[in-house]
Amino acid sequence: MLFFYFGFLKFYPDLSPAELIAGQTLTKLLLNWSEVRATLAVLAILECGIGAALVLNLMPRTTFVLFLVHMAGTFLPLFLLPEFTFKIAPFAPTLEGQYILKNLVFVAAAWTVLRPEKFSDAGGTTPVGQSVIDEKAKSDRGSS
Amino acid sequence: MKVVLTKVMLALVLIGLGVGINVTYESYRGTGLSSVPELGPRRLEAAQSQASGSPVQSRSEPSSKEAARPDAPVVRPDLAALRSAAVSELTLYPTLAKGMRTPFDLWRYYGRGVSSFSSPILPMRFEQWLEFHRKQKPSLMKDVRSYMAMRFDFSGSTLPDATMSGGKSVMAGPVARLSDEVASYEALAELTPEEVRERDLFPYKPLAHPLQTVAHMVFPESWIKVHPEHRRIDVDMDFPDAYLPEFPPPLFLTTHKELGDVANGREVTIDNYYEIFDGLLTPEQMEGLKELLRPSPTTWFNHTDHRVTELPSRGVACFDCHVNGHTNGAFELGPDSRPNMARLRTDTPTMRGNFNLMQLSSKRSIRSMDHFSEVEEYFDGDPGMQQAIGPRAVKREVTNRMGDFNAILDYPPAPKLDPLMRLVPAKATKAALRGEALFHGKAQCSKCHSGPAFVDDYMHDLQVERFYVGRPEGPIKTFPLRGIKDSPPYLHDGRCPTLHDTVEFFNLVLQLKLTEQEKDDLVAYLLCL
Repeated sequence: MLFFYFGFLKFYPDLSPAELIAGQTLTKLLLNWSEVRATLAVLAILECGIGAALVLNLMPRTTFVLFLVHMAGTFLPLFLLPEFTFKIAPFAPTLEGQYILKNLVFVAAAWTVLRPEKFSDAGGTTPVGQSVIDEKAKSDRGSS
Repeated sequence: MKVVLTKVMLALVLIGLGVGINVTYESYRGTGLSSVPELGPRRLEAAQSQASGSPVQSRSEPSSKEAARPDAPVVRPDLAALRSAAVSELTLYPTLAKGMRTPFDLWRYYGRGVSSFSSPILPMRFEQWLEFHRKQKPSLMKDVRSYMAMRFDFSGSTLPDATMSGGKSVMAGPVARLSDEVASYEALAELTPEEVRERDLFPYKPLAHPLQTVAHMVFPESWIKVHPEHRRIDVDMDFPDAYLPEFPPPLFLTTHKELGDVANGREVTIDNYYEIFDGLLTPEQMEGLKELLRPSPTTWFNHTDHRVTELPSRGVACFDCHVNGHTNGAFELGPDSRPNMARLRTDTPTMRGNFNLMQLSSKRSIRSMDHFSEVEEYFDGDPGMQQAIGPRAVKREVTNRMGDFNAILDYPPAPKLDPLMRLVPAKATKAALRGEALFHGKAQCSKCHSGPAFVDDYMHDLQVERFYVGRPEGPIKTFPLRGIKDSPPYLHDGRCPTLHDTVEFFNLVLQLKLTEQEKDDLVAYLLCL
């Protein structure tokens, strides 16, 4: 839900607090080739897509891969814009740096819920987290 | 069933979230907080009331006129239509912090800044600021050079037998590159403004500061060689020296015409001014000159961390850009607009002949040289920054004296002109004489460029945005043409690097349909002024 929320904000100029750092990272990544607003719109579409797919459990395997790719991208400002993400690199991040580093929590949470071995063999249609619930129920039955 | 219901509920929450954000944005951009200067409902009402002279009323309360005729339809003027039609084609300025790169085509953008007020604080620690620019500057300058090479052909070819007053060659043109879609400038001039705009063919779009988030003064290489203390960590000059005024330029005084170049080929500095001018100036003028030569802290050249030099800087003196009362081609941004990215790039104008001007400054219509000396330029039009970085005030008596010296800086000699500023036929070439006739006739130059300084002292809106999709620049002060060959590049932002480019620019903008021969004749005439 947060993914969708923060992603949707990026469609609107001046609403997202991540606009500056995300826009600059993408501009650097694309070697100043594209326009900031256009790249932010693509990022917004990606984030909203991932967010909606996670919430509605659509194509979890693809979503999980996209999610990991996106998460890897969110760490790029630490390397491309260290002046804005670290007060003193590499152990004293700025607020923006902390905002990025907290994504590790997202990655850990997603890995716990969505890691590949939890997908069903039948095309990845098991609801998100269902495999975890199933395992929990199985172990509960076993212990009783 | 339960799963489906859950999914539907979640989908509704997502849609609600999206709608909520959209509604928030719509109300946000109608307020003064927004970066989008749309006319929201409240502003529309306020503007309407202002236009009709009545106090602001809510929509539910009709005015007394409306109350008298309850059936009369309420006519609301379409205020949005009063703005430039091009606004719908423009893009909002990107959100950027100090130091970050800005688009070179800033004319395509518009919008409101977060605030009119600035701050003397960097977005990072100074060591990081240095490191940031150490990394960014090489790639920025590489792109700046590519961009300038894409727009101009700086081949280095010069006009035969044409020199500035101090002997530097005058560059040949036009050097602005044409699109492959048009064969020549004459072919381009045959098109209507709409066609030029539609096909994106206009070669004289505005020039932006290469790093507009910081902006401020950028000095030419010829100056930096002598004054390395003004080398910036973030950006360098984008014009080759050959296309800029000579350095150091001659200095002429109205009070000592017999001396010619009073500086005798030297740069006047605070160290040598007394030796050069003692016995030639009044004590008051001498005091004014000293002040024009005394460095003073500026927004980005100072002793604080909020600077663009590696080492702390003593600042910048008036004569660091207006070298010897002329110009070295340094540019900065006009301080008269906000946000920072809306400020127009401004080349240093010469101070020669300022005594003849009734209006100074490209946009601000400054009416006296004393005011011109006093005006807040070094701090980008932000007295708050002046208070933070200093100096805190300039006394009126001092600026008056600066104005006193400013008032005796003369134009360079123009031996081919008579006292009424017409060419002496025996001294001028046939081409120059034909050019003079064009100047006062078909080319219509004299409509704005007339009198002893070839200036009308008005601001004009050339409506150049008719030829490209861009933010209108509005009225800009006419520049005097006396001694014009000494002051390239031309137009307020230097988008016309040579006299030929300037003639091509006006041929297009005023739709004059000049022939190639006529354009050469006009240039021959301008070289005589």
